[in-house]
Amino acid sequence: MERASQPVKLRRVHDWLWEIPREGAMRVPGRVYSDGPPAPDDPALRQVANVAHLPGIVKYSLAMPDMHWGYGFPIGGVAAVDLDGGAVSPGGVGYDINCGVRVVTTGVDAAAVRARRHEVAAELYRSIPAGVGASSAIPRLSHQEMDEVLRNGARWAVGRGYAASGSDLAHCEEEGRLAGADPDAVSDRARERGADQLGTLGSGNHFLEVDEVAEVYDETLARAFGLRAGDAALQIHSGSRGLGYQVCDEALAGLASSLGRYGPDYAALPDPQLACAPVSSEAGQRYLGAMQAAANFAWANRQVMTGLAVRSLCRSLSVSERELSAAVLYDVCHNVAKVEEHEVDGERRPLLVHRKGATRAFGPGDPRVPEAYREVGQPVLIPGDMGRYSYVLAGTAGAMEETFGSSCHGAGRVLSRHQALKAARGRSLHRELLERGIEVISRGKKTLGEEMSEAYKDVSRVVGVVERAGLSRRVARLEPIGVVKG
Amino acid sequence: MRYCLPQPYQELSHTADVGLETRGDSPEETLARLVLGLAALLSGGGPVPWVGERALLASAEGADLAQTAIAALREVLFRFAVRREIPCACEVRRLAPGGADLLVGFGHYRPEIHGEGVDVKAVTYHGARFEPEGAGWRARVYLDI
Repeated sequence: MERASQPVKLRRVHDWLWEIPREGAMRVPGRVYSDGPPAPDDPALRQVANVAHLPGIVKYSLAMPDMHWGYGFPIGGVAAVDLDGGAVSPGGVGYDINCGVRVVTTGVDAAAVRARRHEVAAELYRSIPAGVGASSAIPRLSHQEMDEVLRNGARWAVGRGYAASGSDLAHCEEEGRLAGADPDAVSDRARERGADQLGTLGSGNHFLEVDEVAEVYDETLARAFGLRAGDAALQIHSGSRGLGYQVCDEALAGLASSLGRYGPDYAALPDPQLACAPVSSEAGQRYLGAMQAAANFAWANRQVMTGLAVRSLCRSLSVSERELSAAVLYDVCHNVAKVEEHEVDGERRPLLVHRKGATRAFGPGDPRVPEAYREVGQPVLIPGDMGRYSYVLAGTAGAMEETFGSSCHGAGRVLSRHQALKAARGRSLHRELLERGIEVISRGKKTLGEEMSEAYKDVSRVVGVVERAGLSRRVARLEPIGVVKG
Repeated sequence: MRYCLPQPYQELSHTADVGLETRGDSPEETLARLVLGLAALLSGGGPVPWVGERALLASAEGADLAQTAIAALREVLFRFAVRREIPCACEVRRLAPGGADLLVGFGHYRPEIHGEGVDVKAVTYHGARFEPEGAGWRARVYLDI
């Protein structure tokens, strides 16, 4: 894998936290949460330092322990900027706007799912289109319907009957809808890319997974989250599909070639992928309106898939919806920028928090956490890889103090797709997983190779770092029974 | 000059995604190979029978050559995303900072022969290069997949 030529200086703060001292035009230091010292030539570290150049950035350019090399921002990056004088960076959100994950609990015994795991995975695969350009899960949206989706997010889908239970919306970050969405800021091209993609999974690291709640670490928190050891649960990981890609693409294209328009600080940014505009500028506001609309599209997408998946599980398990007793535990964004109030230098200030491959992790008592979870902190959902496990965590006061209420978002890749395919050569990953009790269905063999377990860090180590650092608390571990990959 | 699939290109490793690098005797040849390199990734190396051709105009005001090349690839990718068109031939008629005119021959994506193709989300600006190298030219882009 290609590495950065210039190693980055690192200073140990704790065993789990490393600082990149401020130098050159960096406005703040970088801080990297890591299981041991990061490799100084990891290109992602240079990207942490690059993000520290953003106009208006406050406190630190942060990276979570699942950090890896991205574009502009590292994956796992968090940056908060002042609303007044700060910059919004489309690259700090990424192409897959509001890529995120939700966990749906069920009242069904995991053993019953395991006994019919092939039927369960196959029925999910039939019900929810996956893979390159997946489309037509539901009828193509008209212009007016698209406006409603972009404005109302998950609420639109619930209104059309795509739901697990009556509490779905209350159990989504922001109730599945960002109010600042501006459908008029979403171009015809973006609409065209998304018009027939609502309710589709996509490809790459997106997945549907039926899990067993394998272990509960904290009974009180698990009870509050509706998790019971031995029950089956569903995970859905997807985003805003082609619509979101196009929104980001167009915003970057508009900014990348004219960085100097907003002054020398913007012209001097070390990577054109960091192209940004003042939050208050016309371009900044237009992007924020379009980005929030795309985020709503992503929530609607996961909500439609939830409805389709619930019906699919009922069919494959021969149970009624009442017997399945499905309910959205929570739905979190991984790629988003949101205005949030945080404490900086002893003062509460509104900030624009970019999370690029990071999860909001608000702690107990925060009024922005759904009422059902307010006493214990918001659920933080951390998918691992298809062969091992995933975690449900809870947000903490520590995250509010140190990371603008943020935590990791997954395992983080360690092998490039090429390296993974090389490692998979000559192996039958499907059979290997089957022997471990996991039924996997994917559109192509290549995806299975690229997404093999060894391509990812062991997510338990990533979760161990955020727990030691006080950014989140472990609640339960989920283990896969059936997986659908694009 | 018209270039047809397959053309030489190199895939560059990136932790989660993929880079694409091409070389040519001229900027036009180098860009044509970038377009066809992207096509090879989208098609998974499967054959792309000719269906028709389309003139593409890539406009990127104020951009350098690298950003202009990205603008051209963005046009190709958009047509793949909404019409499932994959280039099988490319002629770069004009290439200058800020704009390019291309004539692209295309076929259609067919899952049964292009199923191992890469689902490219976007062409990024990260690490993009389009520059002279010795007597020829070299271009590099990273794709978000």
